[in-house]
Amino acid sequence: MAVSTGVKVPHNFRLLEELEEGQKGVGDGTVSWGLEDDEDMTLIRWTGMIIGPPRTNYENRIYSLKVEWGPKYPEASPSVRFVTKINMNGINNSSGMVDARSIPVLAKWQNSYSIKVVLQELRRLMMSKENMKLPQPPEGQTYNN
Amino acid sequence: MAENGESSGPPRPSRGPAAAQGSAAAQAEPKIIKVTVKTPKEKEEFAVPENSSVQQFKEAISKRFKSQTDQLVLIFAGKILKDQDTLIQHGIHDGLTVHLVIKSQNRPQGQSTQPSNAAGTNATSASTPRSNSTPISTNSNPFGLGSLGGLAGLSSLGLSSTNFSELQSQMQQQLMASPEMMIQIMENPFVQSMLSNPDLMRQLIMANPQMQQLIQRNPEISHLLNNPDIMRQTLEIARNPAMMQEMMRNQDLALSNLESIPGGYNALRRMYTDIQEPMLNAAQEQFGGNPFASVGSSSSSGEGTQPSRTENRDPLPNPWAPPPATQSSATTSTTTSTGSGSGNSSSNATGNTVAAANYVASIFSTPGMQSLLQQITENPQLIQNMLSAPYMRSMMQSLSQNPDLAAQMMLNSPLFTANPQLQEQMRPQLPAFLQQMQNPDTLSAMSNPRAMQALMQIQQGLQTLATEAPGLIPSFTPGPIGPIGPTGPAGPPGSTGSGGPTGPTVSSAAPSETTSPTSESGPNQQFIQQMVQALAGANAPQLPNPEVRFQQQLEQLNAMGFLNREANLQALIATGGDINAAIERLLGSQPS
Repeated sequence: MAVSTGVKVPHNFRLLEELEEGQKGVGDGTVSWGLEDDEDMTLIRWTGMIIGPPRTNYENRIYSLKVEWGPKYPEASPSVRFVTKINMNGINNSSGMVDARSIPVLAKWQNSYSIKVVLQELRRLMMSKENMKLPQPPEGQTYNN
Repeated sequence: MAENGESSGPPRPSRGPAAAQGSAAAQAEPKIIKVTVKTPKEKEEFAVPENSSVQQFKEAISKRFKSQTDQLVLIFAGKILKDQDTLIQHGIHDGLTVHLVIKSQNRPQGQSTQPSNAAGTNATSASTPRSNSTPISTNSNPFGLGSLGGLAGLSSLGLSSTNFSELQSQMQQQLMASPEMMIQIMENPFVQSMLSNPDLMRQLIMANPQMQQLIQRNPEISHLLNNPDIMRQTLEIARNPAMMQEMMRNQDLALSNLESIPGGYNALRRMYTDIQEPMLNAAQEQFGGNPFASVGSSSSSGEGTQPSRTENRDPLPNPWAPPPATQSSATTSTTTSTGSGSGNSSSNATGNTVAAANYVASIFSTPGMQSLLQQITENPQLIQNMLSAPYMRSMMQSLSQNPDLAAQMMLNSPLFTANPQLQEQMRPQLPAFLQQMQNPDTLSAMSNPRAMQALMQIQQGLQTLATEAPGLIPSFTPGPIGPIGPTGPAGPPGSTGSGGPTGPTVSSAAPSETTSPTSESGPNQQFIQQMVQALAGANAPQLPNPEVRFQQQLEQLNAMGFLNREANLQALIATGGDINAAIERLLGSQPS
């Protein structure tokens, strides 16, 4: 898929590739993603998982997220929502919605970005000074929506 | 839309059960698939039957990764795999990768960099208030006693034991739960100044015999104690609660890191058993529980293995806090711990015991302490235990051997600073006073509830007198000193409840004062009479008295050429009649 040459690749090819990457565990193993429903033909709804980085208040926790592509994929960023409760800048405390304007990758979306990029960016932000020491809710809590 | 095209689109690498079943239908027996299990640390390949359940998969993994199955969390494609699922259900096929997270028992483990905390650390956290998951800094605060309903509250908690050290530990635990008090105590300038004196802290630590044993066994600790930089840093850290939390956290993380080193876990266990336990016990024995001793010790051992980390001597503040708080006679308690320190006879210690007395006196002025005092007086057994505590004895002994120390201690109490005359009066009384304190009769008197109540009355009367008869103020100030106070200086000037407080004439007050204590026990009475006379003599004219006393010295100073009588008098008062010191003072202020 020659995305980098500027040729517009059909969306599904890219999404499929992402799916494959998610299943093969590309990367350092600290993020994981896959389709929310394996039967989903639309490849729109995905689940992601971030392992809290060490030496932060998020460490040893597994955060579950929902990523949903919009109709403008890949030009528009997906909507990302945390399922596991988390206290972090840019994430709505009551709903878990990630505020696209506060996450750099989502704010300055490029169509070469992928779910992996989003998850890794969120994990990187967990390690930032402003986030790493935020007190976290007890483990295992999820948002109700 | 794209979806339509997709259904006939290129073959997907792995699709849901539909595609899988299509291929699986052709096979009769389960196929062995190779699945890679990846942790951030490592990657292992597993060959498992295609239709195995997640539970079976976990069992295979647990053998290879040397963990228990319930510690394993498997993630595939962003979903956590539950034990009762099957691999096929999640679409796990040959050649795919599953993520693994290994949890520890106490805290869920993340990746390689955060292995489970050692049992030692857990014991530490269990013994520390952090198990309450409150970001409370180390010190326990005596003040909390008042707000917690004092001893009565504690007795309801089962503090029926007469063991004073138990009392201390219980108090400490109570106070641990009260962050505001801790903050208060940390902000108390005295505490800060004490904490900023590494020498004193070192002395305190060394004075504990168990600590000494520990030091003998572990020379590293003595190095740490002797390293002024480390001490200073630790004390700074101790003063700053936020920093303390940070250090605690770093320490825990350091310990976790330690464990990841091969053989590190064993090292941690050794560290705990060798160092943490004795230190914790040592601290507990003396001070009724020092939750951060183990923390400090673990960090001190961690110091050896991780030199980059500075040592966190968190236990240091603790030994101070409980004694001043937990005893009603905070003077004695603080001076106890300082007395043991002053046993090493350093001027530093002396200066700090003086400051301790200051602190203690300020403690007494709080309503919390007042109520505490009342409760203590109601509990004679407690007082007796308290007084018979070993460190009390040592304090008494050191005080009696070092009358100057005691004198300084008393004199520098803020209550006294406004009344230099009173200081003068106190000075000669101190040796007798100390002997009184050591007199077992005194002890029994103090444990006599009626006697204590009478003393409290005296104290109250004293206060009344002060408000109504300002001329008797010097006699008032000793009052709030505490239980020792009541037996001591507060004794004589008290009993104003008996006589009309309006009469400023001391001569009439003196007899009434002397008559009132007759109800007390013998030794107290004698002592009180002495005090009364001394104070009565001092009360009549406040200012002339020093002049009278220092008449001789003033003449000498005059003869030497110090013509400023006022300055001479002030210098004499300040130095307590010591001519040489007064001269130095005068010379210091007069460059001539």
